[in-house]
Amino acid sequence: MNYFPDEVIEHIFDFISSHKDRNSISLVSKSWHKIERCSRKRVFIGNCYAINPERLIERFPSLRSLTLKGKPHFADFNLVPHEWGGFVHPWIVALAKARVGLQELRLKRMVVSDESLELLSRSFASFKSLVLVSCEGFTTDGLASVAANCRHLRELDLQENEIEDHRGQWLNCFPESSTALTSLNFSCLKGETNLAALERLVARSPNLESLKVNRAVPLDALTRLMSCAPQLVDLGVGSYENEPDQESFMKLMAAIKKCTELRSLSGFSEVAPLCLSAFYPICQNLTSLNLSYAAEIQGNHLIRFIQFCKRLQRLWILDSIGDKGLEVVASTCKELQELRVFPSDLHDEEDNDTAVTEIGLVAISAGCPKLHSILYFCKQMTNAALITVAKNCPNFIRFRLCILEPNKPDHTTSQSLDEGFGAIVQACKGLRRLSVSGLLTDKVFLYIGMYAEQLEMLSIAFAGDTDKGMLYVLNGCKKMRKLEIRDSPFGNAALLADVDKYRTMRSLWMSSCEVTLGGCKRLARNAPWLNVEIINENENNDLMERNEEDEREKVDRLYLYRTVVGARKDAPPCVTIL
Amino acid sequence: MEICNSYSSSSVDSTNPSPSESSVNLSLSLTFPSTSPQRATKQDWPPIKPRLRDTLKGRRHLQREYDTCLFVKVYMEGAPIGRKLDLSTFSGYESLLENLSHMFDTSIICGKRDRKHHVLTYQDTDGDWMMVGDIPWE
Repeated sequence: MNYFPDEVIEHIFDFISSHKDRNSISLVSKSWHKIERCSRKRVFIGNCYAINPERLIERFPSLRSLTLKGKPHFADFNLVPHEWGGFVHPWIVALAKARVGLQELRLKRMVVSDESLELLSRSFASFKSLVLVSCEGFTTDGLASVAANCRHLRELDLQENEIEDHRGQWLNCFPESSTALTSLNFSCLKGETNLAALERLVARSPNLESLKVNRAVPLDALTRLMSCAPQLVDLGVGSYENEPDQESFMKLMAAIKKCTELRSLSGFSEVAPLCLSAFYPICQNLTSLNLSYAAEIQGNHLIRFIQFCKRLQRLWILDSIGDKGLEVVASTCKELQELRVFPSDLHDEEDNDTAVTEIGLVAISAGCPKLHSILYFCKQMTNAALITVAKNCPNFIRFRLCILEPNKPDHTTSQSLDEGFGAIVQACKGLRRLSVSGLLTDKVFLYIGMYAEQLEMLSIAFAGDTDKGMLYVLNGCKKMRKLEIRDSPFGNAALLADVDKYRTMRSLWMSSCEVTLGGCKRLARNAPWLNVEIINENENNDLMERNEEDEREKVDRLYLYRTVVGARKDAPPCVTIL
Repeated sequence: MEICNSYSSSSVDSTNPSPSESSVNLSLSLTFPSTSPQRATKQDWPPIKPRLRDTLKGRRHLQREYDTCLFVKVYMEGAPIGRKLDLSTFSGYESLLENLSHMFDTSIICGKRDRKHHVLTYQDTDGDWMMVGDIPWE
């Protein structure tokens, strides 16, 4: 029984924006369910195959903003075939047909076609924001339709997509009347850019706050762009192979000086070190710095720059900065919340001194009290260091450690890193995401199951000894949503122990483990509400027709996820849904 | 990437390598210690995104001057111990051959087998034996 009229309740619900909270509200009563669903504007779908567009639209007719995710996370590392799935087209078709007033679409790891983009651009008159992350399947022609037809476009944000570049006339397609842009990111485009069109577009977009250009935008063009957009808050720089001449450099610095609102910098692929120096005038204002593509800038230049970035909250950098560089970060960046250190050298040469070690990590943990998220690629680690880190930083929400050499033990004691990671999960009571690496036995999973009460996502590679390891995690981590495992000795016993556990999880990925076809078939039989997908890129793909003996054959890649709409119909030949 | 191994050919006295019926070969061996060949070709480790992977692969040769070298191990047929040298210190095949000839105290050529000389070969990623000198130095 409601004591307020529906409109009042709806108004109250307006203040509640978190997806989790709104989902909870809808469970209170039938009446609240109805009010909530009719007023819901933003929907997040973590797995596009868990539901279908028709049911989505039926439940949320007032939908304005939709976020969809397609391929599993390990697709980022070439573990999922390109043709696996995650097509956005049926969603756009359904939304268009139902005349949903869509304004915002955010896609991650989905396949997007030019046709989809064209349909999108023509179907939603109020469309404002398109964000594509790690997507593929489209070309700059698709971008051209979005530019041309979305009259109210404010945001076009393309992050790390595979886009076929048909040579830059798409920027010309923004009509002269288009002046509402607040965010434009095309840094992942590989081809040439029509500089004149870009400059005109930026000049007529007074609200532009975020601009990230691609490699092809040279220094003098960047200078001109910044001169007509001093209001920029977030800038992604292109590539500048040669050191600029004195005059160009001075002009660039002058333009940069005027950008007093600039807080975030990124880009810098193939950049001569001097170009970084041009940003000295504003570096003390920076809160976010992404130099993870700046493979040409040596450690000492990086260090010299970061020394002045006292307000940095987010830093993404390559390990060429070294432990010494991280010590500088630790003493300079007291506001640091998120750090990512990526590998700069994939060839594992013995003489490589510049990679980071446990020393850098400990320094950061000691110097940066606000640190809550870390992604750290390093060549070695010790339990002692991890225990110290845990003591220094009990506030970690995300802790991802990747020791480059699989199965590498503590290099001072030759023991496994179970105790180190155990200390992390025990101290960091709010930990939601964890990636483990190095030499690890079942024990580390015992600790994770015991202590990681808030853990939602766990990534395991080359770890564990027996099924017990995986079982500790499945039994212990009540909030687990995404579990992804590769090259670890977990098999059918762990997979099948508690089938109902998968009702509470979004998905499970297992590749190069010990699960067999027979085990997967059994799981699929016992859990019809799961899609159990076997990915096999070998020649004989027809797994269903194999005889009994092949039940013992190990499955190369398994991906299972809960769904309310049954087996998908768009799976390619290399995917078998049991 | 593994480029290594010696030919199985007729055995030759290592101190006095005068070739007999078949010619004797020097072979290059280049190994990356802990990255297995399979993993290297599969490109799924370390777990980094494609854009970063491409960026790192595309690092210009200029970078080589500052940090790393390209060490290879050269074995002479019949000699159990190979010699390690840094390929990046050579400007071309000629200086490489000159240096190797000096190192092994024998005359070495690229190209067709010749009874009088050692021939320099290497094994590529497909496992095929190739003559050194066929492709440009870079």
